[in-house]
Amino acid sequence: MSPSFRDGLREGFFGYLPLSVGLIPWALVTGLTMAGVGFTPLQAMGMNVIVFAGTAQLGTLPLIAAGAPVWLMVVTAFVLNLRFIIFSAAIARGFRGVPAGARWLSGHLLTDGAFAHCLEKMLSHEDPRWRLGYYLGPSLWSWLLWQVFAFCGVMAAGSIPRGWSLEFMATIALIVLLVPMARLRPMLVAALVGGGLAVALRGMPLRLGVIVAIVCGIAAGFAAERWRGKDLP
Amino acid sequence: MNYDWTLWGLFILLGLVTTLPRASFIVLGERAALPENLQKALRYAPAAALAAIVAPDIFVTGGELSLLSPRLAAAAAAVTAALLSKNPWLPFIAGMGVLWGLA
Repeated sequence: MSPSFRDGLREGFFGYLPLSVGLIPWALVTGLTMAGVGFTPLQAMGMNVIVFAGTAQLGTLPLIAAGAPVWLMVVTAFVLNLRFIIFSAAIARGFRGVPAGARWLSGHLLTDGAFAHCLEKMLSHEDPRWRLGYYLGPSLWSWLLWQVFAFCGVMAAGSIPRGWSLEFMATIALIVLLVPMARLRPMLVAALVGGGLAVALRGMPLRLGVIVAIVCGIAAGFAAERWRGKDLP
Repeated sequence: MNYDWTLWGLFILLGLVTTLPRASFIVLGERAALPENLQKALRYAPAAALAAIVAPDIFVTGGELSLLSPRLAAAAAAVTAALLSKNPWLPFIAGMGVLWGLA
């Protein structure tokens, strides 16, 4: 471990530490929800390690519980992850000079929080080893918190009776993610069109209505932005 | 509900459609770029997708549109809590409280 890698690791970790507390309720809720749809602790932690994406996990769990077709769950998770393509493109320059293996690991560990925290210094700092440390500090810490507190949620769920409808916590979690997005007008348009069409088209075979609703929602948000003639910040 | 081994196959597929978008440009580096208009449109994907998943869960009961369900009231309580407070727990307490109170 080079000294500049260690310096970056330390600076990234301590800067991110206070923010990382926000991950804890999410991990607990995700753990509770996975147990709520009937996963064993092994299945729940398997999903948590393999998928490692709160929004995609919470978004697909109601579909898994409802016995939806596999392709629908995969497409849904992919759509919920589309934002990471943008994050990945935005932060990519911060990995110049970093070897391919470390890039794959960094990509796997990319989260909303780590992206927001690391972007600026990743783009401005010269030393690739420092940058990699600065990124991996918060990212590995997030991974650890996510696994530990999801496990706590899974184990806590065992002592809660079935009749308490814990799976509805996934719906609430998705609402909590949606509300701050929908404060921006074009985002609200995208959400209203996506949600409205998903309800209206619920009779379509193979749950195709959900996909049609998402595509139309994206188009409506984009059109609303154009129509207002203003870009999002 | 019980799940068989196919659940693990699903986890791997979900893992792929998570890691590939995340790693895409970090791994490709300077070799690739996304058209600007596509980047702009993609920002609406999470909002549209979240709403499309949530809306049927709260507006539809047994295949029928239903505007008086405990789920809808619980969702309204969660939205209100999320709008008025920064406390990350409050929407869950409000939503689950209303759901249990009415069910």
